Amino acid sequence: MSRARAWALRLTGIAVFLLLWEVVGRIFGEALFAPFSAVIAGFPATVRDYKLFTELAGSFQQLVLGYLLGCAVGMVLGIMMGRSALLDGLLQPWVSMMFVTSIASLVPLFIITFGFGLAFRIAIVFMAAVWYVLLVTYHGARGVSPELLQTARAFEASRLQTFFKVLLPALYPYILAGMRIGLAHAIRAMVIAEMYVIVGFGGVVYNAGVEISTVSLIGALLTIMVVGVALTETLKWLGRKTAPWYDERLQLSN
Amino acid sequence: MTLNRPLVLYPLSIVLGLCVWEAIARVLPKALFAPPSAVLGRLAAMTGDGSLPTALLGAVQHMLVGYLLAVLVAIPVGIVVGRNVAVATAVEPILNAVYAIPPVALVPFFIIWFGLYFEARVALVFAMCFFEILINVLQGVRNIDRGLLDAARSLEVTGLALYRKVVIPAASPFIFTGLRVGIGRAVNAMITAELFFSAVNLGQMLKNSSNAFDTASAFAIILAISLFGLACQEGMRFTERLVIPWHHGSEA
Repeated sequence: MSRARAWALRLTGIAVFLLLWEVVGRIFGEALFAPFSAVIAGFPATVRDYKLFTELAGSFQQLVLGYLLGCAVGMVLGIMMGRSALLDGLLQPWVSMMFVTSIASLVPLFIITFGFGLAFRIAIVFMAAVWYVLLVTYHGARGVSPELLQTARAFEASRLQTFFKVLLPALYPYILAGMRIGLAHAIRAMVIAEMYVIVGFGGVVYNAGVEISTVSLIGALLTIMVVGVALTETLKWLGRKTAPWYDERLQLSN
Repeated sequence: MTLNRPLVLYPLSIVLGLCVWEAIARVLPKALFAPPSAVLGRLAAMTGDGSLPTALLGAVQHMLVGYLLAVLVAIPVGIVVGRNVAVATAVEPILNAVYAIPPVALVPFFIIWFGLYFEARVALVFAMCFFEILINVLQGVRNIDRGLLDAARSLEVTGLALYRKVVIPAASPFIFTGLRVGIGRAVNAMITAELFFSAVNLGQMLKNSSNAFDTASAFAIILAISLFGLACQEGMRFTERLVIPWHHGSEA
């Protein structure tokens, strides 16, 4: 399929979707499901009344802390587990356990441990991101070609040199992919934590949700959707731009 | 390294992990972070008096209904859409966009449409695993080897037989990945729903113990949910090996 045809199809898909939304919205009315036109028309008021962008920016500032911490810890643990059979065996059962643990179930407990403030939100976002980054990095680290490492050894590279000049570049695309998946989960976790204690962007969603009209609620959802897609696409673009050689290998499910 | 991983390292890992946990808990105040001994004690007590199994049984109801609905819708939709390149291309941006919405942000909607109880919980479980399954099924159908489809065409396999004999078996590793990831998400959604709608079953127990600063009970409930999630995923992996034994190493 040509690029032009693919884009024509995508645009048609979006147009059909918006049209359907408008029709369904008009049938059900604003209280149940506001039509697209009403959401767009009401968007400036939503932004003003709920300080939407201010709250969102504040939420993301807090998200970044937990997310980057999760990426750093996940990367280091992932590389260590991928390169050491002993550490792999010792950490694997706990990592598998943490990986399936529901973020929402941690929220009431973390409120006791960390309070309602910044530490709580950092901890929740950290727990959401770290295991995905770890898992993807781990798979990458296990898959590093032994020939690469043998070549490094043949050239008498030190362990540090091998790590920075061979292992890290080989892992780079995996780390980026892990960060991308981790980000999606970090955003979800942020909304979970914030809706539970009714602050920040999650608080906006909660408060807009109890209004009679769904215009503000849908406006808020559209906003987080656009931000989420934009950030994920940026990370994807960054990966393709800086590591074009691995694109095909990263057929990881989201 | 000749250590036998499953036999030696895993039990060692669990013992070491519990020791580290106990050491941390000894330093921190008990109301903030319960030691494993207390957590396991609470887990045994809550299982013994029947409160935890009863709550889990209640929670499993909306989880199963939501999950099965998602499976029943996502698999046929994924197969039909995946077989049609034009439709698949057209819906892809919409799918990605809707997938980017944090599911818990849909809770206010579900309250408006379905209220605070069973139906709303089912809806959240459905929303949380539907896309996960659909995306995997779509990927599986779109990745089917062209040679396989050409061979089927030259043998004049068409219509329903084509789906039954070629498309579904060829896509089944991806379908099973979707089912496995999906059931993990369903367990997640199960407890999310009980915390964000009216608090019942496990959600209620979790809220009550947290409100009472009873971290040992809270830990025990979280542990039970995680173990249940792990068991569901392993169960799905086992089913996968039974149903499609020809496919090895499905780790994506």
